[in-house]
Amino acid sequence: MKESWSMILTYITAMVLIFVLTFHFLLQGPLAGKSFEDTLAFSYSRGNLVSFEVIFGLLLYTAILHGLNGLRVIALEWFHPEKKAWLLNLIVVALMAFFLALGSYTLIMVG
Amino acid sequence: MKKDPRYKSGLISSLNPFGYNIERWSYALHRVTGVVLIGYLMAHIFETFQLSVGTTGTAWNNTMNVLHSLGPLELVGLWIVAGSALYHGANGIRLILNEMFGKLVGKPILPVYPYSPTSLGRNQKIVIWTITGVVLVLWVWAGLYLLAGLGVVQ
Repeated sequence: MKESWSMILTYITAMVLIFVLTFHFLLQGPLAGKSFEDTLAFSYSRGNLVSFEVIFGLLLYTAILHGLNGLRVIALEWFHPEKKAWLLNLIVVALMAFFLALGSYTLIMVG
Repeated sequence: MKKDPRYKSGLISSLNPFGYNIERWSYALHRVTGVVLIGYLMAHIFETFQLSVGTTGTAWNNTMNVLHSLGPLELVGLWIVAGSALYHGANGIRLILNEMFGKLVGKPILPVYPYSPTSLGRNQKIVIWTITGVVLVLWVWAGLYLLAGLGVVQ
């Protein structure tokens, strides 16, 4: 994948994240009208996941793609792996697959 | 292959904002907050996974008990994560405007001593300081909410 495509992916996921993370904060933050302790209750947290499964799915995918791609860019700039860049890309893709699978499994099982 | 000497300064120096302008500070903060957030995100996915274990919430409550056993460290940690999300998000909007839409960065000019960067014009400075102010206010609010149980909007 060309690096320019990875930056476009970063920008698009960033714009989506601004909206879905704001929504997440509305549910789990002071604007939810509950104390922080109350927002951690099992029924409230699970209920939110069930009610807004698509939004949390979008949050999971955009956050993982944006975050791990950002980490890859930082690693490329700091360590300059040059010929080993493929290995770094492979590790990042493997991590993406693992966390997306774990998060998707959670959403499917809860929903 | 011999490494380019520019790369010798390493990890710490690449993030050192001292002696540079405010754009460098926002660059360093954006990187640091990004790393904090990806670390938290990975832990958060494991944490949220506990919601799918059974229907009684035993696994979830056990996880919460482990986190609560950290005492104030749990809430201070979350406060740092909240601040990181606020800064990274707000500064990210500025970066999208800069890099994707070419806004706020001024027009390129020939380099003239003392080489003031055209990217750091009046508008850019206003936006950076506005972001800093808004994020600080929201971070204080998050701190009151998390650490003192205040600031709940009914």
